[in-house]
Amino acid sequence: MSQVGIVLKETYRRQVKAWSFLILVVSPFIFILISFGVGYLASSVGQDNDKVAIVTNDAALRHELQQDKDTVTTKYASSRQATKAVKDEKIKGYLKIEQKNERLTAAYHGVKHLTQDEKKVFLQVLSKKQQVLNIQKAKLTEEQVGLLAVQPQLEQKVKVSKEDQEAVKTISFMLLIFVMYFILITYTSATAQEIASEKGTKIMEIIFSSMPAQKYFYGKIGGMFCVIATQILIYIFGGGLIYSLAPRLEVSREIFNNNKELVDKVIANLGSLSLVYVILGVILFTVLAALCGALVVRPEDATKATQPALYIVMIGFFGALAFGQDPTNIVVKILSFIPFLSSFFMPIRIIDGSAGISQVVISLLILVISTFGLTAYVGKIYSGLILQTDDIGLFKSFKRGIRIK
Amino acid sequence: MLEVSNLYKNFSDKRVLKGIDFTVTSGQITGLVGKNGSGKTTIFHSILNFVGFEGQITFNGKKVTEQDYPQIGYLPEERSLMPKLTVFEQVRFLSNLKGISTKEVQRRLDVWLKKLQVKGKPDDKIKSLSKGNQQKIQLICTLLHEPQLIILDEPFSGLDPLNTDLLKNIILDEKKRGATIIFSDHDMTNVEEICDDLIMINDGKVVLNGNIQTVRNSFGLTRLFVKSSWTESQLAELAHVTKVTSTKTGGYRLEIDDENYGAELFKTITKGEYVQTFDQQPPTLNEIFKLKAGEGK
Repeated sequence: MSQVGIVLKETYRRQVKAWSFLILVVSPFIFILISFGVGYLASSVGQDNDKVAIVTNDAALRHELQQDKDTVTTKYASSRQATKAVKDEKIKGYLKIEQKNERLTAAYHGVKHLTQDEKKVFLQVLSKKQQVLNIQKAKLTEEQVGLLAVQPQLEQKVKVSKEDQEAVKTISFMLLIFVMYFILITYTSATAQEIASEKGTKIMEIIFSSMPAQKYFYGKIGGMFCVIATQILIYIFGGGLIYSLAPRLEVSREIFNNNKELVDKVIANLGSLSLVYVILGVILFTVLAALCGALVVRPEDATKATQPALYIVMIGFFGALAFGQDPTNIVVKILSFIPFLSSFFMPIRIIDGSAGISQVVISLLILVISTFGLTAYVGKIYSGLILQTDDIGLFKSFKRGIRIK
Repeated sequence: MLEVSNLYKNFSDKRVLKGIDFTVTSGQITGLVGKNGSGKTTIFHSILNFVGFEGQITFNGKKVTEQDYPQIGYLPEERSLMPKLTVFEQVRFLSNLKGISTKEVQRRLDVWLKKLQVKGKPDDKIKSLSKGNQQKIQLICTLLHEPQLIILDEPFSGLDPLNTDLLKNIILDEKKRGATIIFSDHDMTNVEEICDDLIMINDGKVVLNGNIQTVRNSFGLTRLFVKSSWTESQLAELAHVTKVTSTKTGGYRLEIDDENYGAELFKTITKGEYVQTFDQQPPTLNEIFKLKAGEGK
């Protein structure tokens, strides 16, 4: 394995083995699980005393009404038992169904009203049963029964409204910049910390007597990027898992099916060129964070040193939030060409569809050149920055560092 | 062979190295001595290309480049390892960078742990080891890849006498293996004991360079060690004696202004008397160091 590969592997291994990484990666999933768990518990707690008992002698009807066992129970055979259960707060009420002269009568007795859904289901089942009784009473032929069964046809032809399209765009770019902001805030500090903690030690001299500082720096940045990529991949995998499980789980089925179209469009937007901007932006900020970390002598000063990088992240994030609804604004257009900020602003324009292909290519070229340019430059002066261990402030440290080599 | 010629180095406006020239002979041990801040570490950093410099540094006739790194073993002045790694992980990382396979690292590490009497196992965390044992692990990282050129920056600092002897033997073993070794030190006893050659720098310049015995002899046999019935005041009154000090063995150490008077003083002191000790020697390296280091003041 090449020396860059060895450093990359070691950096990666050290970072992902840390508890902090595990907590960072797992916490959103735990949050989702807790949310689902709380929802499930909330829906199951008090489920019994929210049920409606069905009291009838008609076994077939009883069976049909009991399809949804979460809302209906057939535990109580008589009105007396059901009344006692209501009194004991075991059920919210009971539906007594009787049949006299081929006519069904249903009476609900309870302490709470029936929900609209419950009413709808009960009426549906009872109407169906009443229809069967009516047909029998009318002694209709098979053909007449067939004619009565003809139903009107309802067809839906929906054109997605402008509001829906706007919602897709807003959700897409919001998700993108929030993810990017979260990653940058986390890894800017982590990278600076990693570099600063090494700088304070003489082990760097042993390492630099084994390989050029520039190669070591590339390995370090590569390692940190792999850590970030691992986290993103875990989220993509987790997201995919949720996407495939959500339509099958009772808790999420309805909400997922209602919004599936929206979710699919948001996923399509995220998978576009915007992702390239996020990746390049993350590399660029990681290099900047490494430079900041290399300017301090003590690891505890790393947070202070990363402030310039964090300010840029915040300008990008809050700027994107402010101008997100107005992608054709001149400020957004200008900032979508400036490295560091273009990763926040160009995706807004790409998702909106207001950036021409030539503008995207130019902006991307500037970003690529800046990313590789900054990486090469910091790599070149890295040895000087790391071996300069006098606590003389960030700017002086930078000046002295570039003079050492 | 390591050759340093016309080496100059500035830090800001201050010139730290002012035309350093020396040669470290292949297979020999060379001691680099000088006061604190005299530029010893900067010389090592220049050899390793850590810093930019003026002049020329060659190893086996060629400029030192990254291709030479696998042949170099360097131990910096302050000791430092990655505390969260295990001994094996730390040694593997640094040895892998020198081109040694993980399997080979495993094999050699066991040998070195025994050789250096490290109290710890390969899967112990570095931070769980004592300072002395961490120092030994760092030495293992420096030597495990069997480098041809070994550069040790004050390797004896912080070691107890037992470990100092252990390290001296290791350095001598490395010499037997054929390595070229250069180390810096403040303790002239260590240098005198194990080095073949000496380079003394003062105020950014080489003030002494060569074989240790030759260097010492060049200062003349101006030290006499006498153990007899003569008292300190009697000895001090003798002609050409500039200073008398008592020694731990019960004798006296005389400094004379010219080595040629040694024979004359021998005759005077031993005339008709039993003399237990009479020894004429050059100044010690310590004395030479103090003498030369003082010149720059």
